[in-house]
Amino acid sequence: MSSVVTEPLTENTGTGEQERLPVLLRLLLSNEFGLLALIVVAAAIFATALPGFTSPFSLFTLSRQIGIDTMIGLAMMAVIVSGGLDLSVGAIGASSAMAFGYFAERLGLPLAAAIPFTLALGALLGGINGAVVVRSGVHSFIITLASMSIFFGVMIYLTKAQAFNGLPADVTAFGRMKVLGSVSALLVVTLAVCGGLTVLYRLTRLGREILAAGANPRAAELSGVPVGRTVIICHMLTGALAALAGLMLTARTGAAVPSMAGHLGQDWLLPAFLAPVLGGTLLTGGRVSVIGTLLGATFVTVITSGLLLMRVSEFWVQAFLGFMLLAAVLIDRARHTILKARGMV
Amino acid sequence: MRTSLIKGGLAAVAALMLVAPAVAGSDTKVALVPGGPHPYFGAWEQAGKDAMKDFGLAAGDYRVPQKWELAQQSQLLESLLTQGYNSFLIFPGDAVGTNAVVQEIVDNKGMAIATAGCLKDPTPALFCMGTDTGNSAYLGTKQLIKAMGGKGRIAHFTGFLVDPNTQLRIDAVKKAADETNGAVTVVQVIADIDAPQPAEEKINAYLAAHANDVDGIVTTAWVPAVTAANSLRKIGDKRIKMVGIDHDEVVLKAIKDGFVNGTMLQNPYGQGYIGSYVLNKLRSGCKLKEDAPWKSNALTKKFVDSGTVFVDAGQVDTYVDAMRGITKTILANFEKDYMTCS
Repeated sequence: MSSVVTEPLTENTGTGEQERLPVLLRLLLSNEFGLLALIVVAAAIFATALPGFTSPFSLFTLSRQIGIDTMIGLAMMAVIVSGGLDLSVGAIGASSAMAFGYFAERLGLPLAAAIPFTLALGALLGGINGAVVVRSGVHSFIITLASMSIFFGVMIYLTKAQAFNGLPADVTAFGRMKVLGSVSALLVVTLAVCGGLTVLYRLTRLGREILAAGANPRAAELSGVPVGRTVIICHMLTGALAALAGLMLTARTGAAVPSMAGHLGQDWLLPAFLAPVLGGTLLTGGRVSVIGTLLGATFVTVITSGLLLMRVSEFWVQAFLGFMLLAAVLIDRARHTILKARGMV
Repeated sequence: MRTSLIKGGLAAVAALMLVAPAVAGSDTKVALVPGGPHPYFGAWEQAGKDAMKDFGLAAGDYRVPQKWELAQQSQLLESLLTQGYNSFLIFPGDAVGTNAVVQEIVDNKGMAIATAGCLKDPTPALFCMGTDTGNSAYLGTKQLIKAMGGKGRIAHFTGFLVDPNTQLRIDAVKKAADETNGAVTVVQVIADIDAPQPAEEKINAYLAAHANDVDGIVTTAWVPAVTAANSLRKIGDKRIKMVGIDHDEVVLKAIKDGFVNGTMLQNPYGQGYIGSYVLNKLRSGCKLKEDAPWKSNALTKKFVDSGTVFVDAGQVDTYVDAMRGITKTILANFEKDYMTCS
């Protein structure tokens, strides 16, 4: 998969300069390259210092975690690109997963039907968010803060917080499936979705409209882009991807569990924001990096896993992560400064 | 108070040494992993250390996920497995969801006991050892009803709704009230408050508005018990009777001062200590008996009650003795009742 950094239709000066740089230099300057370098360095240190880090079991759990966290990050990325956000991703993911449990276990639907229905439900819930945001004009922060409680509360009311643990064996088997020796099949799903999103943002009209609407809604509107419809589509995509993340967690646990995303789905918020923002997706919208989101989630997972294996207290892991993230940002900034001083930018 | 509990536990261990001789050079590495940070599990740390020393374990480490997140607990357990731990005492982050990571532990030649909270059958965990939560809530409510003179209105403050134990507790409190044929009614259940901020907000708001409408309070989670005890002390009216849960110093002092009538104690130290002993025994060749006197609850058919006891003002200074007795009894008979050792 190629690096996917898609710029908005409205370009700034910096982007224009970068467009004229040689390909290799542009690669070196990219956020993704910085992340990749950090991942390689961290993985090399952990692999050397911690024999267990490269064990098949460790690699399997790493790849599985990367797959799930990336999918959660992609769900948030899909709405951040429009300049909004969705605090209800966890609630949508958990609610959709519980609906899947109902479809597959209680109604006995085949997986070929239960999975599309689940994704459609996720898209519907996301679409409700989007429609309310567009109609009301209220920022998505407020709307999705409310819908987070509504979606989760309705789900708990309907399910009585009882998990579905009699799912078809294929669900659990997929969650434990390994490809190429130690790679989780869940990561393969995520890579496939990354490929699809890359195509969407780079090669389709809809993708360009989304980026344009996120970068400058007013200008996009004047250019004929249906901004309202585009925002709703972004929220629907977020909902569908959150539902897919919920399905992946269901496969990982072998059951649809109401607490899979924590109370009100809040457990997903950190990975949801961390991966895309680290990866270079702008919180203000208009710029998206699919591969950056993948690398962002990979970086966080590798660091967390390595620190846990080093027996760093669990309470320090978060602090270490914060330091590492700060260091990553500063190193990236220093790299730009040095290159600029040498006249390479 | 916690120091006295630990001292009591240590004294109990000294006595228990006669029952459970140390096993030198064991390769059993026990990890005691709660679902997240919570004062209830504080006693597990000492239990692990004592078990490591007394049974010659290679490790008896208390490792806490930094937050109550199923994913974080699973990630920590996977990491501990990679680090070579082979025996786990786990408070399930989720009664169903944690089964997956326990299955991975078993697949990698490890073993696990669901501790303090159960995993739902079918489960790869060996068994569940903890408080019979429904029974504890039922007995606590019966004590409250007795203190209320057999009639009145009860408010029930409890834990998170996503925890299946919460529904068991709600049902048990209702059952005890229903047995009075209408003399006692549960007028309010406030759930999802086993954390300081929501507990303070909801309990204080409720009592500010409805203190005159209730005659008794039963709490079935740690933080609501502490908050409600503090609230009753602030109100200063001892008309409202209350039965709490666990052994937080705030609750124990409120019992002494007459603001709380009693508390339902659990046995976290015993869970950690006995669980470590059992895991070591099983790794040294013992087998669990299928026909052992397992109890059942809503989640599993292989349940061992780690003990619960009601403590009022008369026993609040000596409750450690009661828990010590329960731990000693369970440990003394566990091998005979539950295991076959060649």
